[in-house]
Amino acid sequence: MDLDPISLEIYWNRLISIADESAAALLRTSFSTIVRESNDFATVLMDVDANSLAENTGGIASFNGILPRTLRHFLDKFPADSWAPGDCVITNDPWLATGHLPDITMVMPIFHRGQLVAFSGSIAHSPDIGGSLWSADCGELFEEGIRIQPVKWLRAFEPNQDVRDLLLGNVRVPDQVLGDIEAQVTANQVCGERLQEFLDDTQMLDLRGLARTLIERAAQSMRAAIREVPDGVYRAAIDADGFDDDETHIECALHVDGDSIHIDYAGTSAQIKRGLNCVMNYTDAYSAYPVKCALDPETPRNEGSYHPIRVTAPEGSILNPRFPAPCNARQLTGHLLAGVIYKALAEAVPDRVIAECGGAPTMRAVFSGEGPGGVRFSQILFASGGMGASHLSDGLPTTAFPTNAGAGSIEAFESVAPLVVWKKELRTDSGGAGRQRGGLGQECVIESRAPGPLQLSLLSDRQKYPASGMQGGQAGAGAAIALGSRATPHPKSRTSINPGERLTMRYAGGGGFGPPEARPREQVEADLLNGYISAAAAAASYGFTHGADGAEAGSEPPTQGGREGQPGDAPEGQSS
Amino acid sequence: MSRYRIGVDVGGTFTDLVLADAGSGALYTGKLLTTPRDPAVAIIDGIRQLLDAANLAPECIAGLVHGTTLVTNTVIERKGAKVGLITTAGFRDAIEMGREIRYDLYDLFLEPAPTLVPRRRRLGVGGRMSADGEELEPLDLAAVREAARALRDEHAVEAIAVCFIHAYRNPAHELAAAKVLAEECPGLPVTLSCEVAPEIREFERASTACVNAYVQPLMQGYLRDLEVRLADMYIDAPLHVMLSGGGIATVAQASAFPVRLIESGPAAGALAACYYGRKLGEPDLLSFDMGGTTAKICLVEGGQPNRTHEFEAGRVRRFRKGSGIPLKITVVDMIEIGAGGGSLAHADSMGLLKVGPQSAGSEPGPVCYGRGGEGPAVTDADLMLGCLNPGYFLGGEMDLATDAVTARMQAVVGEPLELSDDAVARGIHDVVNENMAAATRRYLAEKGRDPRRYTMIAFGGAGPVHAYGLARKLKINRFVVPPGAGVTSALGFLVAPPAIDDVRSYVVRLDALDPNEANRLFADMEQAAAAQLVEAGASAESVHFTRSADMRYVGQGFEIQVPVRDGAFDKSSRADLHEQFMITYEALFHRSVTEVPVEVLSWRLYASAPPPAVDVNFAATMPASTRAPTSRRLTLPEVGTVEAAVFDRYALTPGDRFDGPLIVEERESTTVVGPDATLSVDAELNLIVDLHQMNQP
Repeated sequence: MDLDPISLEIYWNRLISIADESAAALLRTSFSTIVRESNDFATVLMDVDANSLAENTGGIASFNGILPRTLRHFLDKFPADSWAPGDCVITNDPWLATGHLPDITMVMPIFHRGQLVAFSGSIAHSPDIGGSLWSADCGELFEEGIRIQPVKWLRAFEPNQDVRDLLLGNVRVPDQVLGDIEAQVTANQVCGERLQEFLDDTQMLDLRGLARTLIERAAQSMRAAIREVPDGVYRAAIDADGFDDDETHIECALHVDGDSIHIDYAGTSAQIKRGLNCVMNYTDAYSAYPVKCALDPETPRNEGSYHPIRVTAPEGSILNPRFPAPCNARQLTGHLLAGVIYKALAEAVPDRVIAECGGAPTMRAVFSGEGPGGVRFSQILFASGGMGASHLSDGLPTTAFPTNAGAGSIEAFESVAPLVVWKKELRTDSGGAGRQRGGLGQECVIESRAPGPLQLSLLSDRQKYPASGMQGGQAGAGAAIALGSRATPHPKSRTSINPGERLTMRYAGGGGFGPPEARPREQVEADLLNGYISAAAAAASYGFTHGADGAEAGSEPPTQGGREGQPGDAPEGQSS
Repeated sequence: MSRYRIGVDVGGTFTDLVLADAGSGALYTGKLLTTPRDPAVAIIDGIRQLLDAANLAPECIAGLVHGTTLVTNTVIERKGAKVGLITTAGFRDAIEMGREIRYDLYDLFLEPAPTLVPRRRRLGVGGRMSADGEELEPLDLAAVREAARALRDEHAVEAIAVCFIHAYRNPAHELAAAKVLAEECPGLPVTLSCEVAPEIREFERASTACVNAYVQPLMQGYLRDLEVRLADMYIDAPLHVMLSGGGIATVAQASAFPVRLIESGPAAGALAACYYGRKLGEPDLLSFDMGGTTAKICLVEGGQPNRTHEFEAGRVRRFRKGSGIPLKITVVDMIEIGAGGGSLAHADSMGLLKVGPQSAGSEPGPVCYGRGGEGPAVTDADLMLGCLNPGYFLGGEMDLATDAVTARMQAVVGEPLELSDDAVARGIHDVVNENMAAATRRYLAEKGRDPRRYTMIAFGGAGPVHAYGLARKLKINRFVVPPGAGVTSALGFLVAPPAIDDVRSYVVRLDALDPNEANRLFADMEQAAAAQLVEAGASAESVHFTRSADMRYVGQGFEIQVPVRDGAFDKSSRADLHEQFMITYEALFHRSVTEVPVEVLSWRLYASAPPPAVDVNFAATMPASTRAPTSRRLTLPEVGTVEAAVFDRYALTPGDRFDGPLIVEERESTTVVGPDATLSVDAELNLIVDLHQMNQP
């Protein structure tokens, strides 16, 4: 299709706008706070060949990359000519979709003048999927919840009552689960209606020509960006806490060859018997996303953006586990990939990347049980560690990367759960020292006011291995958790919290960038005045002593485990 | 008698004034360059000119309503006061940590949203309320005193904000802290979060308190000074100020909560559109105001703009949600798009044509202004397409230079994209229209509304030029261009009803609602609101109250605003509220769930008095013209090049009716109508344009 640059710009924007309208519909009709406050969803418009054409602005990056793959599995089971208007197929199978059971992936066909022209897709994190709730310690997939393989949720708009009954009979909050799935149906329908209007307006019969052009443009843009990176094989490795003695190791070789990139994880740890396994779909999505951020951040993303990027991981490894490995907390592994990729890329293009993030992986505490009057509740504390620094600027405090789940209000949190948060404050000295300082993590202190013990599920990492620095920057402070009198509760376990007990969560800081001694003195002084660093750390990390009697220097002593990881890091990213 | 009233809108570039004579309906208008260092200078000069033109003595002026961008600009330019913030211990960083979301998914280097109070001036003190408003820990008064002294002596702050956890539920600790602050820092402005924004969510409430404190010293001084200068010129009418939600406040109220003035100018434009809607008998419409830098689109239903209770100030990336400071204030619900006459075009790395959000502003302006502007702007494209008359811009006061435009268009867009001159101009016009259409579709989709149902009122300098293209894209069947598009906004100040709104948080599940508590909240709010409206000149018996509640299903993340009946709450109120919630929910989302319990978060009151009786009669003050119709070549993206009739607006008379393509020129704007549309002139001299698209909603 030969389109002039003006029509192409207008059509492209129109398709993105369609995905955004679909997202708006999902947002305003969904139930769970996970979707609404934490942004954990995505909507995507795909062509008949299961290529993504447009996705909602600001969705979850991994979801956008995964939806087309899931659709391909759907098409294997339900060939393209078998779909009718009003059909709706769903799955939550980790291997076919997003890597863990709580996410519901849904696709509906879009017809125009009697012909199948596209598919609308959406993914949302369900408030419950039965099984073990959100936890990291199950031994196999079947403990983690109910698994739905691709199945018709609607047939020509008619509900498939058997499937509905089966699902709702297996979850704790059926109304909310159903409400969110219906919100997804609404979103997919909005996407379809808007696309039909678009085709009417432009008098196109189908999307084939436009799709090919858009995908080719996005691919060209990514290829041009990759060509700016010198050819070579760039290697890096990281370690993570893993589960108990099973520490996990991720090995990354990034092959840049002309206008394509191959990311290979050969040498990565074998899969383990706990829920940290990260299925290939998730590995793939969270490998391509950081490459796009670093090299080609401005082009709207579609299928073509990731064409020049190939990802491989050994079968049976923690990054490509075999069914039925447990994988409920796959984010604890998948979120780490951006860090190892940037370590490798730093050798070639240090100005395009950031140091490791304290917020990768996320740290979560899930409280559930009975409040006063026997009312059941389940509440997740959303909060983030600090981002890694870049050659340009300090890392953002308390901001997650590569995920983009946010934090809700503590007042709202306390109003729906028998919990009191005594502290949610920046954590002094948690940002890795550097010419640019890593972003600060935070410290939260939560007290249970429930009449009896509550169940507490912890999903965390970065205790043994903090976020490392880059180009001579230092590591950020590691994560730490204390519960009542227990100084170190298991970081990936289900345990309980008693009435009056306090849980202290210290979120990791981001790594620094560049040698700390190169940080301008006035910035160190400002950090000291604002209590981002303590006088002791100013002296130890930056050699700053003069005028260190600043009025409000942080009062918190340097935290344990803060700098023991990789003090005074060597330059990152050893290439071969 | 209150025959003569003046509206003054101080904008970034121009200060607009309108004097309305309620007796004859005559309207006198003025436009002066804003005097940024001392905005009162242009105001006073402008008022003098109006009085001269109308041949009136200052004593005749019965009222003055003022709107200003001063608050917005102070935040954007970071020129506010040195503020200290006192919070509950453990929460002093809430305003810096924010919602912990990246507003751009792919930008690794994004600049964080601004924090107006640096950490060294944010002090935590002991004391804690629970979510139910019970005291868990008494306020540490000694710590408050110590914090006050530190802010006063070590930091020399100019204003103080206080925000304690759950103060929206129980303000006792904030009130006690205010007493200590009054003792320790007499004369220093203090903002309490429980007064400026008594709503749940600590980040947003604390941010609102900080912005209020940040602009308060400046605004207090400015308004006091303006009152004195008005008195000096013998205007003794009370000065009123327009609020962001469209209400009118006294100087005392505005000085206490200046943060509420932040969107006063745009609000006035929407209210003016409502006024024209009333006159046209069109209660449901879209207000479309396109100026030099931005376009604003506002949905009006039942003759009223929607109001929303969230706004973002001082964005580091202007049109990116999440990159600014969230405020819990009432604003007219509209969208602002980086699309104006000055919006600049460029070719991006993908080989696509982009327009905006960067703007050439008024200096240097578009290339055709001939003041050194190098980037082709929307106005340049409009000129090349024949939409604008180079000899009749601002009524001929400013000559537009066409010669340089083609070269710049070629250099910036044509060559990189291999496009002809004509294609570049058409492309710029089309892309900026599509940007506005896309944003409008999203804005309406979020409310479950269909653009085809609405009439559009187009104003602002560039609005009538782009209304035809925008209407076609949105499949709107009719748009209306009121007379004097350039003063439409300022007129809004004079036609707005005095109004005020208030809110209290009382988070409760409906099945546990205590009717006495709800009665107490509304009694409180109604008493305070009535007193304020009477102070603003309304009679007590004319004040009308409208109640609503922010409600949701338990488990949902966000609330919907549900109308609440008047009268005392009792046992039956729970069922009543539940029914109202279900009706509202179904209307919004076309479905509801019956089994899930419902809760209320906040309770709102909107109090208003009848709008002033103004019946504008443009014919009375419209200049006479005998310019005969001409014609010129007009190119539009949708229809190609045609020969279009050109009319002088001041020569049109009621009942005139012409088929497009045509152009109507007036001093401050130009209305463009393509083929497949008919223009008619109504008795009020509005231009009514009907598009023959046959779009049924």
